[in-house]
Amino acid sequence: MELYVAALGFGLISASVIAIAAVGFTMQFGITNMINLAYGEVMIVCAYVTWYVNQLGINAWTALIGAAIAGAALSFVLNRFLYAPFQRKGTNLIGMVIISLAASLMLANVLLGIVGYGTAAYEVDQGGLLRWNGLVLTAAQIAIIVIALLLMLAIHGLLRYTRLGKAMRATAANPTLARNCGIPTQRVIDVVWLITGGLCGVAGVVAGMNSENFSVASGAGYLITIIAAAVLGGAGQPYGAMIGALIIGLVTELSAAAIAPEYKEVVAFGILVLVMVLRPQGLLAKRGALAAAG
Amino acid sequence: MSVNGGSWRRLTARAAMPVLAILVLAGCGGSSSTGGGLGSGPLLVGVLAPFSGADASFGPRYLAGCYAASLSINGAGGIGGRQVSCQQFDTKGEPADAVPAANSMIAGNSNLMGVVGCTSDEASTVVPILDRSHIPMFCMTGQSEFNKSTAKYFHRLVPADSYDAYAMIGSALFGPNHAPYKRIALVFGDDIGSQTFVGPAVAALTKLGVTVAINQAIHLGAASYRTEVAKLLQATPDVILTETIGSAGTYMKEVKQQNGGKVIPFIGTSATIDPVWFKQVVDAIGLPDFLANYTAVDLKLTLQGAGYDEFVSQLTAADAKYPGSNALTYKGKSPTVHLYDGIIMTALAMVAANSSDPVVYNPKIIEIANGVSGATVVNTFKDGVAALKAGKAIRYVGAAGENNFNQYNNSQQGYNLVTMDKDGNEVVIGSLTEAQTQQVIDAGGGA
Repeated sequence: MELYVAALGFGLISASVIAIAAVGFTMQFGITNMINLAYGEVMIVCAYVTWYVNQLGINAWTALIGAAIAGAALSFVLNRFLYAPFQRKGTNLIGMVIISLAASLMLANVLLGIVGYGTAAYEVDQGGLLRWNGLVLTAAQIAIIVIALLLMLAIHGLLRYTRLGKAMRATAANPTLARNCGIPTQRVIDVVWLITGGLCGVAGVVAGMNSENFSVASGAGYLITIIAAAVLGGAGQPYGAMIGALIIGLVTELSAAAIAPEYKEVVAFGILVLVMVLRPQGLLAKRGALAAAG
Repeated sequence: MSVNGGSWRRLTARAAMPVLAILVLAGCGGSSSTGGGLGSGPLLVGVLAPFSGADASFGPRYLAGCYAASLSINGAGGIGGRQVSCQQFDTKGEPADAVPAANSMIAGNSNLMGVVGCTSDEASTVVPILDRSHIPMFCMTGQSEFNKSTAKYFHRLVPADSYDAYAMIGSALFGPNHAPYKRIALVFGDDIGSQTFVGPAVAALTKLGVTVAINQAIHLGAASYRTEVAKLLQATPDVILTETIGSAGTYMKEVKQQNGGKVIPFIGTSATIDPVWFKQVVDAIGLPDFLANYTAVDLKLTLQGAGYDEFVSQLTAADAKYPGSNALTYKGKSPTVHLYDGIIMTALAMVAANSSDPVVYNPKIIEIANGVSGATVVNTFKDGVAALKAGKAIRYVGAAGENNFNQYNNSQQGYNLVTMDKDGNEVVIGSLTEAQTQQVIDAGGGA
């Protein structure tokens, strides 16, 4: 029994990391209609930016702010100077996916040239251990869960209670109509890339902390789980991505406890396939992107 | 436009000169593959290995060996005057990427004298391609399918993974500075390459009456292994046998974290004797815990003598000549040493056969490695060429020591028990006797 309690706790940490990343990813798709396969690489770039800052003696938690800024800036640039021009030319969704894949490869290889193929690890104090009925969490892991909760609440507040959030939802639902109603959709899209890029940057750092170390190759691995969580919850739905992250995080860890660990991803992705068969639009999708946001 | 006879002749005469010049130059620059003479123009060694992806650390260590070998060969005048260079071809550690990489390497380089690398990630797919193309190769794969390889151009200077597994068990049972371990955990990746260790290890441990406390196949590159580690700790092993390239830092850190700050002793495969692996695990658990708990098995390299001195000297030169290669980091690392020797042997085989045709010089590689009766022992390319020019048969005893290829082009040299010092340098702490090794191999049912 203790093992399952422990797995539950570990699942919450995994879910927290996945949720931060998946919400950013799914908002990019929901509002800007862009499946950004370079998302994992942007995460790793930000993780390395923070690592360099951390090497200068600055606390990794403080450097998280730098990661958010780096992620926001890189994502903004990526959209403004690469994705947006193609979208204006009318490149279809598959074409845009290929372009983002190319961006991903370019980022990974440029980064490889700069940082090399080795791994990096933050110098971060894990703090004391919380032990309860088999649950074992470090202070750093609890901090990751708290950061994820705060960010999810912030996204909820943004989408529900601010003019910007309403503008985002309107842009997601029908950009032409939104523009005709006087919403500056281009500016909204820029802000979306900044916000989701910030989430991406934070996700890169907490993923690096969660794994203890990371390398250029880690980006591709993160992306698969992020996409799975986003699709499971309903593509383009931030709340769906949160639920998808929770399910994938918990299922992978609990199945590792129940059966052999090599099957934990099989189980998680099996559930994803099952949901797709029974409810192809995902768990929370109703109509159009961000519909569940209300 | 009409062309009259006179202007046509002038035109053909003018055109003929550059065409002739191009043909002459092409003849000079291209690789001769007629089987007679060494030809002219530069030669290339392809380093076909992962340079990106989860196993990205493999490629650079092979490339360092190639750089050192090329400098040794070129410094001695080249192969019949032909200079050797190295080029990396990234397989990304994936068979699907390795096939186009191998094909484009072959199609784009008619001057390919040999290939090194071909790890377990891609060997199954690229070895047949290289063999069909008659390209001698030295592969760093331990897969058992190559234990009795029929590929004529395939060479392996590393033992099968099953022997690594036996050596690790030998280390657990007979290693210095600890009592024989009684409860052994096996933690390997869930990929085919990693799992080749597990079957022989379980068979041997069972037959020897040692308890397999837990046998975990983990997914390499996962973000965390906390639940797996919780299960491992419940099984209370005395020691962990592992490789987990790319994930060892994450796994061992979680062991330490959940085990009240205490690390369980862990024994690594020969692939863990690697600066990247060292840094990753030290970053995760700290140097004192690493030094106190880590041991590994490695091939019994001599790492001394004229052959090794030449290797170190050329590796030092490569480090300076190719900034960013960090070639010196790989001093004493068995893959780098072995592939260096492989390239030198290939070069000497070309000189001995006086041919740049692989069909002619490939059989000479094993002849030079194993030696024939009365052969003169040489330790460097330069000495080898001098002896060959003097009409002597040679045996190359290189940086790694003697080679003894069997009929399947496999050469093995036994195992050392090793650890690493604070700088990541390999330190030999013991070796397995012939009897101890045989006991484990017999228990595991052979290779």
